[in-house]
Amino acid sequence: MEPILSIEGISKSYGNIQALKNVSYEVPQGAVFGLLGPNGSGKTTMLSIILDILKANSGTFKWFGNPGSPETRKRIGSLLETPNFYHYLSAVDNLKITSAISGRGNDQSIEDVLKVVKLYERRNSRFSTYSLGMKQRLAIGAALLGNPEVLLFDEPTNGLDPVGIAEIRELIKVLAKQGKTIIMASHLLDEVEKVCTHVAIMKRGTLLAAGPVNEVLANEDIVELASENSLKLKSVLETFPGYLSISENDSFIQLHFPFGTAPMEAINKHCFENGIVLNQIILKKKSLESKFFELTND
Amino acid sequence: MFSLIKIEWLKIKKYPAFWWMLAIVTLTYPGTNMMFYYIYSKSINGKEVANNVAKMLLGNPFAFPETWHTVAFLSSVFIIIPSILVIMLVTNEYNYKTHRQNIIDGWSRNQFVTSKLFDVLIISLVSTMMFTLVASIFGMYADPDNLNRWAEQLQYIPLFFIQTFAQLTVAFLIGFLIKKAFIALGFFLFYDLILEKIAVGYLRFKTDDLGRFLPLEISNRILPWPAFTNRFGKDAKDWYVKSVAAIPEFLIYTFILTAAIWAFCYYLHKRRDL
Repeated sequence: MEPILSIEGISKSYGNIQALKNVSYEVPQGAVFGLLGPNGSGKTTMLSIILDILKANSGTFKWFGNPGSPETRKRIGSLLETPNFYHYLSAVDNLKITSAISGRGNDQSIEDVLKVVKLYERRNSRFSTYSLGMKQRLAIGAALLGNPEVLLFDEPTNGLDPVGIAEIRELIKVLAKQGKTIIMASHLLDEVEKVCTHVAIMKRGTLLAAGPVNEVLANEDIVELASENSLKLKSVLETFPGYLSISENDSFIQLHFPFGTAPMEAINKHCFENGIVLNQIILKKKSLESKFFELTND
Repeated sequence: MFSLIKIEWLKIKKYPAFWWMLAIVTLTYPGTNMMFYYIYSKSINGKEVANNVAKMLLGNPFAFPETWHTVAFLSSVFIIIPSILVIMLVTNEYNYKTHRQNIIDGWSRNQFVTSKLFDVLIISLVSTMMFTLVASIFGMYADPDNLNRWAEQLQYIPLFFIQTFAQLTVAFLIGFLIKKAFIALGFFLFYDLILEKIAVGYLRFKTDDLGRFLPLEISNRILPWPAFTNRFGKDAKDWYVKSVAAIPEFLIYTFILTAAIWAFCYYLHKRRDL
């Protein structure tokens, strides 16, 4: 299947500062694609280029197999960096402009999205009277307008309260279930871990890794074990074949295996046969956070 | 194209500054002309010899067909009012970052510049309509005997429109490049009201009138001083005849400059980072 978005060797510099260095990746159809990286890693620059806000110095990108154009942008509901609206207009009037430019949605769907993002009661208030969170909701509403097949969110939960964050997360899950492709930049790892199927990790303009979450984030299986006698447990585990490394802390011991190879039952059997009764055995994937720090630390 | 106008209208129609401008233009165009008309009436409606001389000299600048020229000239001084609106409309887009959002939502960069071109056109049209209305009312009121001459000198209506459009284009360029509302407004006010006026005067005496090629002066010269100014001696008459004769030449310069500014805006916007 043709990827929704393919990026080929994009580079961008601002004077001496190279914001993007030869970045390439693809976003498959139906993916929830998380773009991760610390502040200043080039996430927003990347998204700005594929929306024709910034001009790349070199490289190309394709949406739906075609070079980016106004027509392709109309098929993408986007929230880039900040909510950008006319301050003196109400939510409804602002969305009328979004709708008129993009050709997505009508008066009825404007009301509908305002209900989805919980701004319906305030739909006739000027944008300038909105709180930060409400502005962000309106921007999400504008992206949802007319039910586009692709959604692009740059830090969608900026400025939202914990309830709002949870709601957006749920919304993204619902949208993903409907088969939409979602591209999302975030530095909130927890958020990405909970909803994304694919991920790209960037640092100082360089793409460190990209692909399905399982491949990028879990290159090791970690088996966490505990028993009454941890000294004995450790010596027994050391005789088990095939692990990469072993580590321990106060309450448990961790055995590291290559991705997808941890033989849980065999470990359990090995311990029992050597007189150890386990009170805990868990298969863990490396958390996104630790993986992220590992990738982005010097 | 129609959809661009429709979208711009969505932006403008609830923008308070637009209605303020309209209100101020509605007051200043007739207001200034009334003031001059009042001075004129005072100077001719007396029993003194001087009053008769004044009447002989001035004719009636507000009667048809002179009203088209006189009112156009006096009203065009207030280009500053619609200019403020034009600058606000373009700097707002940068301030709200909607110049980005419009592109994200599916406009091309050219469409964005075209939408602003329509803003300037719409505002020029509104100003011209207001001018036409005021000039007609003065023409009818000032000298009913001349009503049958209303169709003479109608060229001052399109000339007023062209001058307004050309000067608002300069205002647009300043807003488009400077991006910050107050800096752009300050710069335009200073340039229009002070800098260019001094430069034109200085260059008239120091050089062969090179000031005529300054951006606002080029189009100022398509609406020369009203006809009554030619009655103050031979020099004044020569000067008037010369400036009326120069209208077509400056019309061409105005077209070239205005087209060049818009071409530059399209070129720049297509290539720059937003």
